[in-house]
Amino acid sequence: MLISGIALVDSFKFLDFAARKLMKAWSDREPRRPPVWTPLKRPLAQSRIALISSAGIARNDQPPFDQDGERRNPWWGDPSHRVLPRGTTERDVRLYHMHVETRYGEQDLDCVLPLRRLEEAQQAGVIGSVAPSHYSFMGYLLDAGPFLTKTVPQIVARMKSEEVDAAVLVPA
Amino acid sequence: MGLASREIEAAGISTICLSMIPELTAATGAPRVAAIEYPFSRSMGMVGDAAGQAAVLRAVLDALATAGSYGSVIELPFQWPEPRRKAMGALPQPPITVLCKRKPWLYFKLLSGEIPLPKQTGATR
Repeated sequence: MLISGIALVDSFKFLDFAARKLMKAWSDREPRRPPVWTPLKRPLAQSRIALISSAGIARNDQPPFDQDGERRNPWWGDPSHRVLPRGTTERDVRLYHMHVETRYGEQDLDCVLPLRRLEEAQQAGVIGSVAPSHYSFMGYLLDAGPFLTKTVPQIVARMKSEEVDAAVLVPA
Repeated sequence: MGLASREIEAAGISTICLSMIPELTAATGAPRVAAIEYPFSRSMGMVGDAAGQAAVLRAVLDALATAGSYGSVIELPFQWPEPRRKAMGALPQPPITVLCKRKPWLYFKLLSGEIPLPKQTGATR
């Protein structure tokens, strides 16, 4: 299915031939799902925002994501997540996603998890507040089942307890 | 990413997905997508480019605030400053790529979405 609304951005520009074929095939195979919609409850300038990155970011004081598991079974990806407290920087973390170049995010975490930029947005009054917790998971999950049924509900529960209004999902 | 955003949205928290593959993200049924033509590994901008990253974040937040209905795709007006080849660089070879190079027929399984269950691949987990 070609999304007719996307005219300017080439969805496949930075992919090699094999990956481009895959992404197109997967896009075409996605079933049509029922709409889900939660309007922003208050103006952006009063909203609390959390970030979610698929770069597989873990703090040095947390267990790493399971790269060996993916090496043993390349069809598998670690479905867990890590909570990254507000104020986390590249000094505190490593990136574990095996399908992207991790050194950029390890040099400057804001390339994939813009926590400092979000703080600036709060200081400028663009958003209400930065959430106390942010989140990361491994972007390569061919079987998203366990991630969707176990991990995402944990993230949702924490965001709710911290009164988050909106989540910005940032890919790697 | 898109499937996760649907679960979060369904639980009552608004979401927006920044995406470099907006066709795929939109096809999964993400409620709001901000499309960007940036390379992988640096979706917010170049290392050290605080102003550029801030501009992308502001545009994503704007899209979050203004997207009016389910399935909105907002195309962000940013251009990556490097040529395609240089931007792509030498990406790592993940285990699935190495496996498919050794056994090319597995690439077609991947293409058709036939993901072997753990038992069939002899994995330990």
